Amino acid sequence: MQESDKFLPYIVNPREDTGLYNAKFGIWLFLASEVMLFGSLFSAYILLRVGSFTWPVQSDLQNVPIGAINSVILLSSSIFFIRAWVALKADDIAKYKKFMYLVILFAFLFLCLKSFEYYQHFSHNEFPKTSVFMALYFLMTGLHGLHIIGGILVNIYYVGPGMYLREKDKQWFINRVEVAGLYWHFVDLVWIFLFSTLYLL
Amino acid sequence: MEDTSHKDEFKRDMLIYFSIIALTALIITISHLQLGVLGIWLIVPIACCEASILGYYFMHLMTKKKTVHLVLLLTVITFISLLFWPAWDVAYSPRTPSEFTKY
Repeated sequence: MQESDKFLPYIVNPREDTGLYNAKFGIWLFLASEVMLFGSLFSAYILLRVGSFTWPVQSDLQNVPIGAINSVILLSSSIFFIRAWVALKADDIAKYKKFMYLVILFAFLFLCLKSFEYYQHFSHNEFPKTSVFMALYFLMTGLHGLHIIGGILVNIYYVGPGMYLREKDKQWFINRVEVAGLYWHFVDLVWIFLFSTLYLL
Repeated sequence: MEDTSHKDEFKRDMLIYFSIIALTALIITISHLQLGVLGIWLIVPIACCEASILGYYFMHLMTKKKTVHLVLLLTVITFISLLFWPAWDVAYSPRTPSEFTKY
């Protein structure tokens, strides 16, 4: 048992029955609730689309190239996160920080392009009130954008002020970064569905 | 030994990265072909494949414990149940304005 496990059990080492440490079990339960949240919105999209008399040709309303670039950007940030975690496990802090900065940079890039898309929609007088599709588009991508912002804040914490946690317990810190990575990959996964549903179908 | 394993992991990650990008390019191409309903039946499964690959490798679902699989299985079952719950209503709903006037 490690030092930190004496205060609260299973924050570093996995439980025997679940095979998971607390934070990892917690993040999977959280991600399950997130699946339900986004799932309900996708359900609403499907039911509204199936039940409507007419539906716009989505690819005509959307900037597909920007959506595609955003997909590559988010996917690249996921790869950078994995490299950061691997570097952290190998105790290479300089490399860890470099990759984490890249993750944050790419996340900002994603938000910049998303903002540009919103700007284009607004300049074409396309608002949430314009149609059911636009309402769903702004709701779903807006909620996803909020998740990106949340992820950026967590990533900034783990590459900046949160680094002191590493001094307390290295493995504990590695676990925390792993959990943040799981969240980040999930946000990427949601975007895959958002892009194909709202841009291409 | 560990260095070799890291290199292998890196190669695998890059392979997955480019596979997902290739699949994204594929669904964009399919979308441009304007295949109508067939397009939907092609794009949705490919997007599911992309997401599965990402979850399986990047989120390490391949090596996860049974607890995680159980949590995800319960979530998926609940989600699919809730998704199809109102389906009967949609199936019997009027689809055209003329059908609407019957009710």
